[in-house]
Amino acid sequence: MKGKVVLFLLLAAVAASAALLLLRGGEEDTPVARITRDGVLLEEIDLNKVDQPYTLTFEDESGSNTISVEKGRIRVSAADCPDRVCVNQGWIADGTVPIVCLPHRLMVEIKGGGGDLDGGAG
Amino acid sequence: MKKRILCALLAVVLCACALAGCSREPVESTTFAMDTVMNFTLYGGWDREKTKETRDWMTSRLAYCDEMFSATDENSDIAQVNRAAGQPVELKNPTAELLSQALELCRVTDGALDITAYPAVKAWGFTQEEHRVPSEEELAELAARIDYSAVKLDGNTITLPEGVEIDLGAVAKGFAGDWLAQQVRNIYPGEDSALLDLGQSTIVAVGSKPGGKPWRIGVVDPAQPESYFAVVELVDMAMGTSGGYQRYFEQDGITYWHILDPDTAAPARSGLASVTVVAPSALTCDGLSTALFVMGLEEGAAFWRNHPELEFDVIFVTEDGEIYRTAGLEGRFSLAEGYTDREVTLLE
Repeated sequence: MKGKVVLFLLLAAVAASAALLLLRGGEEDTPVARITRDGVLLEEIDLNKVDQPYTLTFEDESGSNTISVEKGRIRVSAADCPDRVCVNQGWIADGTVPIVCLPHRLMVEIKGGGGDLDGGAG
Repeated sequence: MKKRILCALLAVVLCACALAGCSREPVESTTFAMDTVMNFTLYGGWDREKTKETRDWMTSRLAYCDEMFSATDENSDIAQVNRAAGQPVELKNPTAELLSQALELCRVTDGALDITAYPAVKAWGFTQEEHRVPSEEELAELAARIDYSAVKLDGNTITLPEGVEIDLGAVAKGFAGDWLAQQVRNIYPGEDSALLDLGQSTIVAVGSKPGGKPWRIGVVDPAQPESYFAVVELVDMAMGTSGGYQRYFEQDGITYWHILDPDTAAPARSGLASVTVVAPSALTCDGLSTALFVMGLEEGAAFWRNHPELEFDVIFVTEDGEIYRTAGLEGRFSLAEGYTDREVTLLE
């Protein structure tokens, strides 16, 4: 009897670990865009769940950035910062390089979604 | 017998748990410093609190770097030196160390890297992002003021002739990268693993990824800065890129970028679109990527052949889109998806 209980517990543990592994794998497969200002989260968007393209505008005393969202990708489409580096960067679809608007301290980055790179240089 | 089977099962389960639950999650952080945004990924030991402390220490170090090195922060060491009008100035230790290493790079590159180009950088408006094109006469006058050999550094005391001003933009992030990487190595001797991205142009890989695999870093295609044309694998190695696409402005159909040729005080037009340097020292990567961009392909390749003591390798991309890489990157360089049909010329 005791043996059976132990066996049951073991099987439960195996099932739980397997489920955990699967869940973790699942998390990484979905690209999620995170829009932050000064490290504070403003918006989180699951890019796989975007049906219709849309835009969002974020404003504060430093200025404004308009962000375009499409299925699987995101960009800053307009901004009133002086250099417009964020706009010129165009679309991003993976987590290798975030879009950063330095004058407005706004960042758009993608977490998850696979991709085999750890970083980008340039 | 039953007990043995149970023990074996238990061992399997424990292993599975270890794989599932304990795969090391990194401590990540994003910081705005040194005119850019920096991302750190730290796989410390198993002690997350200690890793978070390391991250906080790194953030405070960067703020300190800004206080010391920024030419635009009027209280910094460098701003004081630039205002000193020929009088000697006493520097903090890290500033003196950075200057000493930077001047050595200026010497070894025979002035292709020159840290005294600040008056020219200001004249082009790259400090305040209020751009203008200086006249020929103004450029000639500015170029005459660019001369690293006029900088007298004696211990922590520096003296600049009047009219000469320093900008450490080409080397400060590399110095900071080396400094932070050393700290990570000191805290986790033997099991260090971290990726320090100091604003993309400077990247430091500390150790390998957990599990021993190298860090895989994409290299931006200067013709299409949203894509990567190549992947470089790094283990305990730094990487620095200089490219005209990083900061520029356009006027009357002409693109003017921020990398200036110390000889002309105008944007360096050597036929190169980007230079990526891979070396153990981030400061070397940072400074040399700028210097080689100014030199151009031929002179840059010759410099690589003549300076094996600097232990660096290079990827050059020309304005025509040709790709060149040095032999030392064998096994660490590959073309990225979508670029596999591109030709890469090997420099030996």
